[in-house]
Amino acid sequence: MLDLLRIEYKKLTPYPTFWIIFGLFFLFTPFVFYGAGQIKFDAFPIDFATIYNFPNVWNIITYIASWFNLLIGMLLVIIVCNEFSFKTFRQQVINGHSKADFIISKILLIISFSLLSTLYLFFIGAFFGYISGSEASILTNTKYLLIYFIQSLGYMSVALILAIIIRSSAMSIILFVCSIFVESIIRLFVPEVLASYFPMKIISNLTPFPSPGGVQVSSINAVITDSISLNISIIVAIVYIILFWGFSYIILTKKDIN
Amino acid sequence: MEEILNINSISKRYGKVKALNNVSLQINRGEIYGILGPNGSGKTTTLGVILGVLNADSGSYCWNGKTPSKNDRKNIGSLLETPNFYPYLTARQNLSIACEVKEVVQSEVDRVLNVVDLINRADSKFKTFSLGMKQRLAIASALLGNPETLVLDEPTNGLDPQGIAEIRTIILDLAKNGKTIIMASHILDEVEKTCTHVAVLKLGNLLTYGPIQSVLNNQEQVLVVSENLDLLKLTLAQIDGVSNIKQIKDKVSLILAKGKDISYLNSALFDKGIAVSEIGVQDSDLEANFLELIK
Ligand SMILES: Nc1ncnc2c1ncn2[C@@H]1O[C@H](COP(=O)(O)OP(=O)(O)O)[C@@H](O)[C@H]1O
Ligand SMILES: [Mg+2]
Repeated sequence: MLDLLRIEYKKLTPYPTFWIIFGLFFLFTPFVFYGAGQIKFDAFPIDFATIYNFPNVWNIITYIASWFNLLIGMLLVIIVCNEFSFKTFRQQVINGHSKADFIISKILLIISFSLLSTLYLFFIGAFFGYISGSEASILTNTKYLLIYFIQSLGYMSVALILAIIIRSSAMSIILFVCSIFVESIIRLFVPEVLASYFPMKIISNLTPFPSPGGVQVSSINAVITDSISLNISIIVAIVYIILFWGFSYIILTKKDIN
Repeated sequence: MEEILNINSISKRYGKVKALNNVSLQINRGEIYGILGPNGSGKTTTLGVILGVLNADSGSYCWNGKTPSKNDRKNIGSLLETPNFYPYLTARQNLSIACEVKEVVQSEVDRVLNVVDLINRADSKFKTFSLGMKQRLAIASALLGNPETLVLDEPTNGLDPQGIAEIRTIILDLAKNGKTIIMASHILDEVEKTCTHVAVLKLGNLLTYGPIQSVLNNQEQVLVVSENLDLLKLTLAQIDGVSNIKQIKDKVSLILAKGKDISYLNSALFDKGIAVSEIGVQDSDLEANFLELIK
């Protein structure tokens, strides 16, 4: 299994797009996070700088990073579609990989990307928390990181299945970025109980918009994402992720590799 | 004879196009099997199915008598239709990935680059390669691990005459070492010069197959001249084993069935009162036979 992941990184480390997109993610996230803490409203007596403190830092930084997560999703779309357009997936099957090997490789890649970005957020958050001299424990509310990790898996799993169905980067990226909007339009036409369980809704709600000032979030369980509790959202998201992986494999086996 | 590949009535269609129609074929160890046919006859489709990238609608195949698995493919060197590599990686990096997939030692990379004469461009990116160099790299990739069986789809595609000659030498060398080679080509000359066996495909149908000489050269074309060509043609039509009577300028050409020779024809004509002024076997014309087959 880890051999498969090693091969994936052998393909990726010389790939400029990989460095550019991760570079953007690594740069933008702390930059925007820092900027958010510098906001000052005279009329609104909240000290935004408290977002740097533990435990606020975890909620805010994962919320900000969740937007740049879409970038990593796009990277995944590009990586998967490249395998079709370069016909390298075909070649690797000819050389002795199975279609399952292909899916497993990409799933391992997704997990490693999510781990990488979550770990990065942990270090950035820890850095800001210590610098700001906060007294609370670093560990409080680190559950947000776990949720962010699941969300990251979720976005990339959507990216994976889209890329496998469509096979062309341009179309898949457009659909991936639009999927949130497309889905919200579809949601208008289904009963609300169902609508709140749609995949992009569930996944994007994992990192909720921080309550005003970011400081009032006291207990994670108090956070309500629409009508569904966070814990339910997590479970549903994990079910979706597994379904996306399974369907990606099924679709791949049904179609020819051209 | 040890059976390497058995294709059992495989059919495949793309919408309305019947790309393969009930094709069956058996290939044994040590054979250099040419799959010959014009463009669009189903050669690549056949190879795609046996290499696990295309799903057949019906039929089955097996390598070495076992149900197909990815491990068979690790021990087969294959080139299917186009050279498929990462454009932003160098030749060496690309082959190194292929080695990982095939579970072959990395030292194979330099060996095969030497064989195809690309070692001095090993660290150039694939996208900077000419068509011919890309094709050589694809052949190099097929040679990784020195596999017992090779599947090569139009291996000389895009090469210049010198490149074609070099690849032909490589294939003949492999053949000498007892490898089994399955090679698709639309060029008769290529198949004729390298293969021991041939299967002829046309519009997805397997027209004929077997040892190359018996497939492409099983009939002798004979040219006959006599005073009255019309009478000659009429008379020839009555002789057993004569077919395809055609007048070519001042001669009559015909095909003589297997086992019949010129002296047989000559005496048959003599018996019927025709004086032949000239009779001879046309140099065996594989190309004409091939064109005849696929007509
Ligand atoms: N992906 C595809 N979609 C539709 N038709 C195809 C596809 N691949 C091949 N064909 C058709 O199948 C037939 C056989 O093609 P192919 O096996 O590539 O022929 P060859 O390799 O002998 O030139 C052709 O008519 C071709 O147009
Ligand atoms: Mg072809």
